[in-house]
Amino acid sequence: MGNSKDRIKFNVGGRIFETTSTTLANAGRDSFFGALFDDDWNLSPPPTKQDHLFFIDRNPDCFAVLLDLLRTGDLNLPATIPERLLHREASFYGLLRHVRTARWGPFDGNRLRLSDSVKGIAPGDGTAVRAGPDGGCCVAHGSVVHVFDWMLEEHCPINLDYQRVNDVGWIDSDNIVLSACEKLGRGDGGMGLFSSSTGDLRYKFQVCHENQVKSYTAGALSFNQDYKIFSSCKGRSNEYGIGVWDQITGKQTDFFYESTGWSLGDADKLQWLNGLNCLLVATLFPRKDNCYISLLDFRDKNMVWSWSDIGSPMAIDEKRVRDAIAMEDSSSICVVNEFEDLGFIDLRMYGGSVRWSSRSRLMKSKMPDEPCYPKLALHEGQLFSSMNDSISVFCGPDWVLTSRLRRSYGGSICDFSIGGDRLFALHSEENVFDVWETPPSPII
Amino acid sequence: MSNQKKRNFQIEAFKHRVVVDPKYADKTWQILERAIHQIYNQDASGLSFEELYRNAYNMVLHKFGEKLYTGFIATMTGHLKEKAKLIEAAQGGAFLEELNKKWNEHNKALEMIRDILMYMDRTYIESTKKPHVHPMGLSLWRDNVVHSVKIHARLLNTLLDLVHRERTGEVIDRGLVRNVTKMFMDLGESVYQDDFEKPFLEASSEFYKVESMEFIESCDCGEYLRRAEKRLTEEIDRVGHYLDAKSEDKITSVVEREMIANHMQRLVHMENSGLVNMLLNDKYEDLGRMYNLFRRVTNGLATVRDVMTSHLREMGKQLVTDPEKSKDPVEFVQRLLDERDKYDRIISTAFGNDKTFQNASNSSFEYFINLNTRSPEFISLFVDDKLRKGLKGIADVDVEVILDKVMMLFRYLQEKDVFEKYYKQHLAKRLLSGKTVSDDAEKSLIVKLKTECGYQFTSKLEGMFTDMKTSEDTMRGFYSSHPELSEGTTLTVQVLTTGSWPTQPAVPCNLPAEVSVLCEKFRSYYLGTHTGRRLSWQTNMGTADIKAVFGKGQKHELNVSTFQMCVLMLFNNSDRLSYKEIEQATEIPAPELKRCLQSLACVKGKNVIKKEPMSKDIGEDDLFVVNDKFTSKFYKVKIGTVVAQKETEPEKQETRQRVEEDRKPQIEAAIVRIMKSRKILDHNNIIAEVTKQLQPRFLANPTEIKKRIESLIERDFLERDNTDRKLYRYLA
Repeated sequence: MGNSKDRIKFNVGGRIFETTSTTLANAGRDSFFGALFDDDWNLSPPPTKQDHLFFIDRNPDCFAVLLDLLRTGDLNLPATIPERLLHREASFYGLLRHVRTARWGPFDGNRLRLSDSVKGIAPGDGTAVRAGPDGGCCVAHGSVVHVFDWMLEEHCPINLDYQRVNDVGWIDSDNIVLSACEKLGRGDGGMGLFSSSTGDLRYKFQVCHENQVKSYTAGALSFNQDYKIFSSCKGRSNEYGIGVWDQITGKQTDFFYESTGWSLGDADKLQWLNGLNCLLVATLFPRKDNCYISLLDFRDKNMVWSWSDIGSPMAIDEKRVRDAIAMEDSSSICVVNEFEDLGFIDLRMYGGSVRWSSRSRLMKSKMPDEPCYPKLALHEGQLFSSMNDSISVFCGPDWVLTSRLRRSYGGSICDFSIGGDRLFALHSEENVFDVWETPPSPII
Repeated sequence: MSNQKKRNFQIEAFKHRVVVDPKYADKTWQILERAIHQIYNQDASGLSFEELYRNAYNMVLHKFGEKLYTGFIATMTGHLKEKAKLIEAAQGGAFLEELNKKWNEHNKALEMIRDILMYMDRTYIESTKKPHVHPMGLSLWRDNVVHSVKIHARLLNTLLDLVHRERTGEVIDRGLVRNVTKMFMDLGESVYQDDFEKPFLEASSEFYKVESMEFIESCDCGEYLRRAEKRLTEEIDRVGHYLDAKSEDKITSVVEREMIANHMQRLVHMENSGLVNMLLNDKYEDLGRMYNLFRRVTNGLATVRDVMTSHLREMGKQLVTDPEKSKDPVEFVQRLLDERDKYDRIISTAFGNDKTFQNASNSSFEYFINLNTRSPEFISLFVDDKLRKGLKGIADVDVEVILDKVMMLFRYLQEKDVFEKYYKQHLAKRLLSGKTVSDDAEKSLIVKLKTECGYQFTSKLEGMFTDMKTSEDTMRGFYSSHPELSEGTTLTVQVLTTGSWPTQPAVPCNLPAEVSVLCEKFRSYYLGTHTGRRLSWQTNMGTADIKAVFGKGQKHELNVSTFQMCVLMLFNNSDRLSYKEIEQATEIPAPELKRCLQSLACVKGKNVIKKEPMSKDIGEDDLFVVNDKFTSKFYKVKIGTVVAQKETEPEKQETRQRVEEDRKPQIEAAIVRIMKSRKILDHNNIIAEVTKQLQPRFLANPTEIKKRIESLIERDFLERDNTDRKLYRYLA
């Protein structure tokens, strides 16, 4: 006989459950059960009689599922219980975080499975999808951004004066930054910080040029660990370049003006590089006629590395860089062209050229009517590249193709994003976005 | 019925939300409110946690979060106001206990309320960004209890009073005070600082201001420092017992300011017990305490250091300028060494080997040692004394220690070349008279001088040692080539290289025939083995061992100087000689002869000849006879020469002049070296650079440098610039 003092009986909505305080201790302090016990996980106050029944006025079926979650760490939801009900019950007991942890496992590009598909009603093409740090995501459509939490419940959509959204990004699970076009003469647009749960605008970021506040169009966004926000900016006179703001104060702290003959304010992509303490800025075809990739060091306002295809001979197959991503581990920049050929530029050399790895995929013959330009992403040593309706996963030092994610409807993928151990892929038709996750670890 | 009168139809818009009975929220809140009351009345055993949690959950779920939140705040505020009244009512010592008790109760209740309202904490508060239940409970306690009018000042005064009582020696309940200060910390660091720490520091400052005034009037410096130190450790203890660790620096700085910084000057200069007194009386413990306490305040150590320096300089100045004390050079240097040892000991034991204090002590010594121009001579004499006799029976290690100490003094000297002059003279005397106690010690000192001043400084000194060595070999060679000389009178010659040795005018004298024969033999042997050399006899530096038989047949071996030998040998032929006869026979210059006769005839116990008439001084008309009654318990008798250890005034002038003479070429060499590399330089810079270059040897006199420059211009080494007369140009 074990220690029977450890045993506890519940009457949940009329059904009797018997469990132990050790099992309930898995719920943690910040939960219903944590409040039920004292600091040493003894019942407080101690039950007066041996066979004390704790009554809980909740759904017994869900309690069974959640009790099993505490017992095993696995979530097994019978088809009869709607997810929303489970989430509601988990919220009552303070177990929502447990449910989320049990839902999907640590991210691995080669073990992904499609877990959900969310259909939108917004007209036209989506602009961008961004994964949040805790499994939620936001989707930019025209002038509105739709926000979803990890349960894929939609929250209030956000907008900045209903100006066209260029980029969005998560600062943390509760804060979203949105960059939008300016509206001439009104000072609308620019950049704003929003609460993801309520959709409230916390503050708008301003650009000052010679101590005057200017209206501007904010483009691509990036953040770093020092609470800085970077955005490409386009004003009407001199305010072309990369602006820097402080996440905490919301104040502009720096501005990297673009030099003549180079492009920063129109950038398609910004990427903060931790190791090099630099910001990668890429302006690509077809936004501009030429491609410009540069690394900026803000400490001494110096462009420490740059590459451009100005003046390089146009080949017949017209390979143009469509997306770029810096890979600090291998000191190179990976680029992709419209035929999903991957290319690499060495970061250690100034003025190097692209080394294309030709993967004869014969894409030229089957280009869809409405092509979507390829996008790149890097996650823990795995390289992801989207093309048309599929996403390819590359691994290893030579970037071998190891997996391909594809589904039948929705059309071409116009953007995708990885975060919170999930991959979100936004399709250009139907306004659908897919959620890909890694299943929980196997039992053995 | 009224509704029958008016039958107006009203079509209402469909309400999306199911309306919750407004009474429901009130009812639920009443349940929760009652529960909070019960919890505060410590009557919570009958409560069902599940029911309360569910009720709170329902209120939040049905959008009554706001009501729940404000309700909880209002109820808790009400309770805390009541508690505040109870605390206010507590009298005297019970006040703090009551406060502490209520604080514990509040914490426990707050815990339970937080559990019940956990769902609100997690959802409603999270999304509205309001303060969470627990911090809210703490700030309510702060506002309604700690900051309530009747408690705020009283609490502070009670605490300060307890601290004061402890400072005046009473025992207080430290646990209770710790709990209360801990409460302040729990309420936030700013509460601790504003409501307790700041007034506490002010009160402490006031307390120590008064106390320090009291102490300084009634105690001497040592006692004051002891008390200050005790207070300081008490305060550090106090922080450990019942204050927050961050207060330590603040309270110690208050004590430091009030007890030390504000009375620094007065303490240091305190009559009969201040720093000077401590230094004079070797009060290491007090000095150490002063150092440790003064180190804590700005300028503290500088004050101590300044006073120490001025005292040391004053004391040193008296020491070196007192004509009484400079009578005996050995005693003089010994005093300096003793002072140095003393300050070394003070700095190492009491001042923690502080570098700045070492520097201050060094610069003071340097200052006053050079006040007396005879210091170089005295130091050399001290070494001479030690190496002649002082080191006998002392272990090698101790010899090194003494030599190292002497080197310390040497380092302070500005005129190192003067020292070298004297050292050379003294070394020459030691070597020639064979009075060196230990060759190792001699060489060790030379190595030290070499490391200190470079090869040049000691090359001549080393040459002297080489001469001694080669002389030994030469003598061996001489005797092996003249085997017939091994019996009878023996001669030992030391061949000295001119230049290496201090030059003294060769005083001629007539050597006895036995000796002059040998001398001639040696001269021919030496000039036969070495070509191109010249020998001249330095009879004034030699010694001789002669055997003498006195009246009752006792034999003695007399150890005498060459001059004395010449005199004594005359008595082999006649018993009675007049001064004039001796002078004629020996041709020794009068002053030397007088000194030599004086030592033979006038020193008690060593008077191998008698003088008529008996008197201290030698007269021109005196007569000398062999003292047949001479007795001594020793077989060997050493007849000393009456030698002036210290230089006489004219001798001193002479040495000085020689030193000045020797400096000239050195100054010139330095000027040429500098000008060769600079080509053009103005007057002031030349002076500066020359002084700097020569510093390790001596302090060059600017007027002398100027004279040297003039001389170099005359000899066409330099020229003045045509336009700027202050500029000099080097002529290659």
